[in-house]
Amino acid sequence: MVLPAIVLFLVMTVYPFAYMIYNSFTNLDLSKSGTGQFVGLRNYTDIVRDQLALSSIEFTALMVLIAVPVEMILGLALSYLIRGLFAEKALRSLFLIPMMVPAAVGGFGWKMLFNFIFGPINYFLNLIGLQSIEWFGKINTARTAVMIVEIWQWTPFVFLILYAALQALPKDILDAGKVDGADGWRLFLHIELPLLRPILYVTLLLRIIDVLRTFDSVYMTTYGGPGSATSTWSFYAYKVTVSYGWNIGYGSALCVILVIVSGILINTLTRVLNIGRELGLSKE
Amino acid sequence: MKLKLLLLALALLSVLAFAEVTISVVACSDNADSLKWLAEEFMKRNPDIKVEVTTLSWEVLYPRILADISAKSGAFDVFNWDVMTAGAVSQGCLDLFEFIKQNPDLVDPSYDMDDLLPLAKNLGIWDGKLVGFPYFNNTMLFYYRKDLFENPKYKEEFEKMFGRPLRVPTTWAEAVDVARYFTKSYNKNSPTQYGIALMFPTTHTMFYMYLIFFGPYRRSVEGLTRFGPVDLDYGDYFTADRKPAFASDLGLKAFEDMKALMPYSPDPLGSDYGETLEYFAKGIVAMVPQWTNPYLQFKSSPALQPAAEKIGIAPMPGRSVAGNWALGINKFISTEKQKAAFKFIQFATSKWADKEKLIRFAIAPVRKSTLEDAEAQNAIPWVKVLPSIYADETFRPRIPEEPRLEDISNINFAKILSGELPLTLDTLNKLANEWEKVLTK
Repeated sequence: MVLPAIVLFLVMTVYPFAYMIYNSFTNLDLSKSGTGQFVGLRNYTDIVRDQLALSSIEFTALMVLIAVPVEMILGLALSYLIRGLFAEKALRSLFLIPMMVPAAVGGFGWKMLFNFIFGPINYFLNLIGLQSIEWFGKINTARTAVMIVEIWQWTPFVFLILYAALQALPKDILDAGKVDGADGWRLFLHIELPLLRPILYVTLLLRIIDVLRTFDSVYMTTYGGPGSATSTWSFYAYKVTVSYGWNIGYGSALCVILVIVSGILINTLTRVLNIGRELGLSKE
Repeated sequence: MKLKLLLLALALLSVLAFAEVTISVVACSDNADSLKWLAEEFMKRNPDIKVEVTTLSWEVLYPRILADISAKSGAFDVFNWDVMTAGAVSQGCLDLFEFIKQNPDLVDPSYDMDDLLPLAKNLGIWDGKLVGFPYFNNTMLFYYRKDLFENPKYKEEFEKMFGRPLRVPTTWAEAVDVARYFTKSYNKNSPTQYGIALMFPTTHTMFYMYLIFFGPYRRSVEGLTRFGPVDLDYGDYFTADRKPAFASDLGLKAFEDMKALMPYSPDPLGSDYGETLEYFAKGIVAMVPQWTNPYLQFKSSPALQPAAEKIGIAPMPGRSVAGNWALGINKFISTEKQKAAFKFIQFATSKWADKEKLIRFAIAPVRKSTLEDAEAQNAIPWVKVLPSIYADETFRPRIPEEPRLEDISNINFAKILSGELPLTLDTLNKLANEWEKVLTK
């Protein structure tokens, strides 16, 4: 009975992945005829010397270190503050909209919002007496802009999970806390937050995995620029593999590295945060 | 009897259905409207051939063509390709010289190959093979606000400020003063907010924009003496012996010219094609280097009415750059489809089509007869300046490694212009080394 499912899994997942690993050891380049020879570890050693690959690591790391915590804090704050509000249901639906907007549409929308001359963001900055900002023309502002897009799009995901988790917290424990005199902020800090911890960790992991793959927001807004300031690892792999030359061998090596790095990072985090135990999956 | 008739009708219908050949054309968005219109016209004249045009953006089109060629899937029968990708796409395109030899009956006697402009035709030739008929002889023009340049008040003010008459710049050095004059933050009486709209983003735009600044140096007497003549495959970026020519003091000067203009342009590093079009169309800037086809957008812009009085067109102050497109046939498709595809590309690049697509869609002509046609010259004002531009325009490399070179350069050029990398010969030499690595791989 499970054979078709296994075959499908092998064909759709394992084979492409294995083929990618194989390609990463070749010089396959679709723009040139007569390529595809085995080159050993050359693609991998080239990555270490590739300045553009290294700068892509830098921005990807920045995204993980800045955008993810902001998303987590905002998502948590929104899910906590929205409870019991008069328009809770309406706001809940409203908050989820960015996540439902296709990334290409969202990215394009933000590109217009950030436009130097016609963009509403600069218009409002001018209204309050500030100068227009070249959002996509300077390193720091371009990085900020990409992070804003990413935070706008994915905070709703964090919000959704944490909001659902807050609704599902055991009522008896909360009631006991209230009987003991905890209320509002103290109840949240000392009872709800510790109870949310396993879900928070899982959400954090999911967001880190997702941010490591960031592509759309960069593609639609800065195209990795200025220079390579906003090039993420996934975007760089795309450029090498698809957009600028079809260097399949080298691009595959970049993708394999991403998988390995993600695996190591997630594994380390899982161990450090003790997620297995938090979720009750192990008894350690 | 009825049954027999019905069967006969069905048989006829199926014969007709099978007799119709469908060819699939993949086109860049710049060419798609004209190709769709030409496809309709072609189908009226050739009811046995159906033409379907798929539009893709440049970023998607090129990889899609390469994927199709590599997989030999024949997903598309006709490719609309940028000539700078000639080296890469040639591996999957039919040699039209050979095809014409083998199929003389398909050649329209009025096609007149000699009427095709030499450079446009030669850019479609790779390794001695004609891998595409020239379709769009795109080139960069210098659009300016004619009304402002001819305004006596501004002329007088400019002369007072700079001690020379206000005129359309013929060099980038001249353009700096003019751009400064038309920038509000430097001249509060400026009628426009900025002097010039420049596009130096980290995309393929950067690669051709650099050439309009480097071109004047590369093609100068000094440049030709030092670097040798320009090779048709390697373009202006290279020396005659195929070394990066920009890694030189002349390459540095080009960057200095670019940087000198940047203060008078709105967000040059963050603006691309679309933004700069808008800046000029909405009257934000006084000048913009742009391709031929945006003319129709400018012409219909409310801020630029009456267009004849407000839109001026001149050759580039430096040198223009070629942005030609060709139509090639996938060599991995059936002979029947190849023949139908040939008929279509021959029709789409015929004398009649060349003139029609110019008048209707501002697609720059690939034929001498169109350039000389009075109706064409009256319809689109830049037609008259094209011959002088075509005579000395620069072009990018057409070698298979071009995309990778372009990517590395776009990033480094943006870093130089933003000040992240120092503007020194050492920086350019490092970039040249990166190029060498790509070329020797």
